[in-house]
Amino acid sequence: MITFTFVNPDGTETAVQVAPGYSVMQAALANGINGVTAECNGSAACATCHAYFDESVTSALPEIKEHEDDMLDFAASPREAGSRLSCQILVSEALEGTRIRLPDAQ
Amino acid sequence: MVNPVPVVKDVVFQNLLDDPYPSYDRIRNLASAVWVDSARINLVTRFDDIMEVERNHAVFASTNPKSLMNKVMGHSLMRKDDELHQIERKALEPSFRPGVVKKHWGPIFSDIADRLISAFEDKGEADLFKDFAGPMASYALIELLGFKSDVAWQDISLWSQSLMDAVGNYSTDPGITARGKAAAGAIETEIDRVLGYHTENENPSILSSIAHAEHKHSIEQIRANVNVVVGGGLNEPRDSILTLIYGLLLNPNQLARVQKEKRLFATAFEEAVRWVSPIGMYPRRVTQDTVLGDTQLKEGDQIGICIGAANRDPSHFDDPSVFDINRPRQQHLAFGGGPHFCAGTWVAKQMVGEIAVPMIFDRLKNLRLHGSRPVIENGWVFRGPTSLPVQWDV
Ligand code: HEM
Ligand code: FES
Repeated sequence: MITFTFVNPDGTETAVQVAPGYSVMQAALANGINGVTAECNGSAACATCHAYFDESVTSALPEIKEHEDDMLDFAASPREAGSRLSCQILVSEALEGTRIRLPDAQ
Repeated sequence: MVNPVPVVKDVVFQNLLDDPYPSYDRIRNLASAVWVDSARINLVTRFDDIMEVERNHAVFASTNPKSLMNKVMGHSLMRKDDELHQIERKALEPSFRPGVVKKHWGPIFSDIADRLISAFEDKGEADLFKDFAGPMASYALIELLGFKSDVAWQDISLWSQSLMDAVGNYSTDPGITARGKAAAGAIETEIDRVLGYHTENENPSILSSIAHAEHKHSIEQIRANVNVVVGGGLNEPRDSILTLIYGLLLNPNQLARVQKEKRLFATAFEEAVRWVSPIGMYPRRVTQDTVLGDTQLKEGDQIGICIGAANRDPSHFDDPSVFDINRPRQQHLAFGGGPHFCAGTWVAKQMVGEIAVPMIFDRLKNLRLHGSRPVIENGWVFRGPTSLPVQWDV
C-alpha cells in the first residue's frame, strides 16, 4: 500500500492508503474526498479531477500529453506548475508520503 | 430488502413522449429498477443508482450483441467497452479538446450563428427550432465532421433523425429501418467523397482526427463512428439551444442577470441540460446477476439509464422541476458519467452556452415567447422543444 495525503480546499488534510494501480482520482472518491468531482469518471473529458502535485514528485510522474495539457487550461481553478488531471495519474511508489492539494473549485 | 424488478403496466407510451417527468417520479419512488411494459426495458431513475452503474461498466456493459444500433449504424464505439472502446475514443479526442474547440471551432460557430440570425433579424418573429437551432447544429456538425460545405442542413438533419429513429425502432417497423439504412448509405457516400482529402491534409475535423489516429481504423470503424456522431451530435446541441432560450424566457429575472453578467450563460447552459436533458435515456446490459440499490437484476437484463429522471431526483436537487441558474454548483448527469461520458461536451458548451444563445439575446431586442403560438416539447429518450415560436422588437 502507498500512503499519501490529500489537502482539502478548506485546508484540512486526509491521509489515505491506496494499492498501486488505482488512479489518484479513484483514491480520492473511494476515500470520500469531496474536492474531486470526476464527472467523467476518468475519461479525461471533464477536467473536474484537477489536483496540484508537489514539485518533489512531478518529475517522477508520467509526462503530460497533449490532451491532458489542453484540458488543464480549462479547469475551473487556475493552472499551476504541479497541476494534473488526477484520473491520469496512477498511484505508485513515487507518491509515497506526498501531499496532493485540491483546488477551490472543480 | 432486495426485491425482484417490479413490473409497471399502465405507463402510457404517449404520456412518456408528452411529459415523462410524472412517470419518472412514480418509477423513482417504486424501486431502483422498474420494468415498464410500454418502454420494454427496465428503467433506472435514481441519481445514486446511476452513479453506481456508471462506475461499474464490467457489470453494466455497453457492448450488446443484439443492439439495434449496431444493425443500423455498424459497430461503433458507443457499443464497445474497455480497450476496444478506448482506442476509438482516443482517435476522436483531438477534434474535441477545449482549446481546439475555443480557438478553431468557436469562430466557425460564430459565423454560422451570425449568418442565420442576419437572415431573419428584421422579421420580428420566428420559430427558433427551424429558423435557428436546427440549422445551427446542422451546419456546425457538417464543419466538425469535415464534410465540407456541400451538404445541405436539411439533409444532415434528416440523416440524423433517420438514424435515431431506426436505433429506437423497437417495434421493428420496416419503413423506419429502411430510412435508417438509406441515411447510413448517404453518409457513406459523403465519407468516400472527402476521406482522401482528410488523409492528405491533417486538420481539426473529426474525419481527419480518425484518419490520423495512432490506431489505424478500418473503413467499417470509420463509418460506424461517423454515424454515431451524425446521430448523436445534432439533436442534443439543437435541443439544448432551445431549452436554454426557453428557460430564460420563462424567467425574466434570471435572463436579466445573465445579460448583465455574460459569464453566467455557461452556468445557465448547465442548468438547462439538467432541467430538460437532451438525452433522457441510454441503455446498458447487465453482464451478471447483481443487486442495484434495492433491486435484484439478472444476467442479460437490459436497463435504461434515465439521466433525465436522475437530473430531477429530489434527493439531489431542491425543486428539481424548476429552471434555476442560481442553484449551488453541483454535478448533473446530462453528459453521462462513465467511460462513455459525452465526447462532445466542450463543443456543446461552446456552441450553445458561449455563442448561439448569447448571440440570440444580444441581437433580438426584447425577445419573448410568441403571443399566440405555443411552445411544443416532445420525447423521453431524446427530449427538447420541437417548436419555439418567439417575437422581438424590430
Ligand atoms: C448538449 C449537448 C449534448 C449532450 C447533452 C450530450 C450527451 C451525451 C451523453 C449522455 C452521452 C453518453 C451516452 C451513452 O453513454 O450511451 C454522449 C456520448 C457521446 N456524445 Fe454527446 N451530447 C451532447 C453533444 C454532443 C456533440 C455536439 C457531439 C459531437 C459533435 C457529441 C458526441 C458524442 C459522442 C461521440 C459520444 C460517444 C462517446 C463514447 O461512446 O465514448 N455529443 N453524449
Ligand atoms: S475525471 Fe474527468 S478528466 Fe479526470
